[in-house]
Amino acid sequence: MKFTKFLALVVSVFLLLAGCSNGSSSGPEKTEDGKIKISFINGFTGGDGAYMKKITKAFNASQDKYVVTELQEKDHYTKFKSGNYDLVVIHGNNLETYKQDGLIQDIGPVIEKAGIKESDFHQAGLDIAKLEGGMYAVPLDIHPLTMFYNKDLIAEAPKTYEDLKSLNTKLQAQSEDLYALGVPSSGLVEFYMLMIAAQNGVDLKDGEKLNFAQDKYADALMQFHDMVWEDKVSPPKLGLDGEFQTFMKEAKEGKAYQTAVALTGPWFYGAAKEKYADKLGVAPIPQIGSELASYGNAHTIALSAKVEDEKVKEGIAEYLKFMFTPENLINWADGGQAPVHLATLEKIEAEQEKYQIAYQNSKQFENYVSPPQVYQFGEQIRYMNETVFSKLVTTENFTKKDLMKELEKATKLAEQVAATAPKK
Amino acid sequence: MFFRMEVKMYKGASHKIWSILMVSPFVVFFLLFWALPLGLGVWISLHNWNVSSGNLGFVSLENYKSILTPGTLYYDLFMKGLKNTLYFVVISVPPLVLISLGLALVIDNLPKRFKPIYRTIFFISYSISVTAVSAIFLWLFNGNGGYFNNVLESIGIIREPINWLGEQPYAWLTILITTVWWTIGFNMMLFINALDEVDVALYEAADLDGAGAFSKFISVTWPQIRNVAFFIIIMTVIASFNLYGQTKLITGGGPEQSTNSLIMNIQTSVFGMNQLGIGSAMAIIMGLIMMVIIVFQYWLSYRNKE
Repeated sequence: MKFTKFLALVVSVFLLLAGCSNGSSSGPEKTEDGKIKISFINGFTGGDGAYMKKITKAFNASQDKYVVTELQEKDHYTKFKSGNYDLVVIHGNNLETYKQDGLIQDIGPVIEKAGIKESDFHQAGLDIAKLEGGMYAVPLDIHPLTMFYNKDLIAEAPKTYEDLKSLNTKLQAQSEDLYALGVPSSGLVEFYMLMIAAQNGVDLKDGEKLNFAQDKYADALMQFHDMVWEDKVSPPKLGLDGEFQTFMKEAKEGKAYQTAVALTGPWFYGAAKEKYADKLGVAPIPQIGSELASYGNAHTIALSAKVEDEKVKEGIAEYLKFMFTPENLINWADGGQAPVHLATLEKIEAEQEKYQIAYQNSKQFENYVSPPQVYQFGEQIRYMNETVFSKLVTTENFTKKDLMKELEKATKLAEQVAATAPKK
Repeated sequence: MFFRMEVKMYKGASHKIWSILMVSPFVVFFLLFWALPLGLGVWISLHNWNVSSGNLGFVSLENYKSILTPGTLYYDLFMKGLKNTLYFVVISVPPLVLISLGLALVIDNLPKRFKPIYRTIFFISYSISVTAVSAIFLWLFNGNGGYFNNVLESIGIIREPINWLGEQPYAWLTILITTVWWTIGFNMMLFINALDEVDVALYEAADLDGAGAFSKFISVTWPQIRNVAFFIIIMTVIASFNLYGQTKLITGGGPEQSTNSLIMNIQTSVFGMNQLGIGSAMAIIMGLIMMVIIVFQYWLSYRNKE
């Protein structure tokens, strides 16, 4: 009897709580004044976030039929998976995973409605957004590995590895604490490893998995070891984001190293500009491997698989149509990003001083190599990111044989991750 | 007779309703926030549950088998995390208990007017968020021109800068120093309260017997605070097992995944690999390991008491 009463009480509380939750209703969600709501989630929590908000705010001000609610969250992927959002920003290297998990849908019909054509975008952007079976996102930007240089230490941007070596000799003659560039042991190392693969013509994609255990790739990677321990163009044992931290340091006799060049992420531009102002140079990365190629990640806008309502899709089409016009998307370049929308790129080129970083990075689109489209790219490359690269650049006596052993282990792990893909 | 009357008085229906009403908030919250999540966790651990695609079916103990079978991805992830976490428990519990006891004894022996000041000073670090603490220690332990390296080089202790965050054992040392600085205040407060409870008359009697400071601690203080110390050890072991923020933000699990804690690896399984079933099974095994260690501690303490 007592148990029955307790049970009744607990059930009542559950029912009460269930009653508090939102019930599902038919048709799109609307605001009080009848505008159709569109939810958009992204991870723009850095300095660029305000610029995307500016675009959204301008769209909302121009609309009497739709309203876009933009949510900027650091961990937006988790929120997207567990929540109910119409549009989501997905990095280029994650797109295949989200497609295979059935979380996004072909956005082709929506962009057609918006009057946006594939030919409106740079090929580099299309290579990322077009997957087997259709267009799974609208390419927004590419943020490749970027070169910053200190004009006080170097007059012109180095273009080759030989340039970096001769710069290093010159700097070392000035002070033992001055180096050409820094090779970090963690942080942006994924960009470094994929960049050197691209610059040596190595294709890591092998069916559904990443195959790191390639002799040619081991040779390519060993160059980073040699940069630190043989050619000594980088100080040894730099930690997380070491390439940028060292670029921002002031050389102190025996106490702190400084570098003239940083191969780093464009998101550090604001901090670098604040420190160096006009003395900051920005340029495409030099050729370190056997051919010129650039690598980096990208932002794309994808459509949730949950969106079925045609009216919501029409609203999304309106939003994309508004965003992908040079006068609106230029805000994104103002935030330091390099859009892949061709008409916007023309505007950037016309004002290259104003959009310095966007312009310099757009020059890298011509030889850009996109991330391999495999399931769970980030997990497949995790061991390389967290262990192999660090061993490679921090262990003085690390040999190619040691590296091959590690590459085989990394490939085995990648294979196991690839095997977790949903059955087709 | 009196007892019978009492029983009769409280046997009415209203008493039952009131009892149920009084106990129900606890029962409801206990069910909602403890029993239900635990039950759900166990249930999910028996399923092939993907964060993106949802429940893909009952797999019995298959997830547990994958975690405990050498050579699998999840075995490596779990064992590496467990090994790192156990290492941290071993190196962190003694200093976290002994230093906090030392500080509590120092404060206990201070003049009364200074006690609140020093108690606050040592406790205040505990109120800072792990994000802020990590940012401070990242700056202090920076290998290239960091504060500690500069100080050590200036006074001639080291010639070459130490790569605190990128090399072992320095990375663990950094995490340990950070954790001690950050959390020591909590244990210290518990010890201070325990020391306050010790009867002053016992110290006076010990003084009359001519006992020194060490003898007084061993014969008077320690027996009186032993139960609290045991509680503190258990709480510290649990807290050290839950290592996450410091390693996530200061070393990022490096160098070479050597500071990846078990919680970090469970998070990787769930949010990186989408394997909620595997992650739940890992969490359940972790809970069982913690229970075994705590039961062993109880047994040890009980045996010593006997």
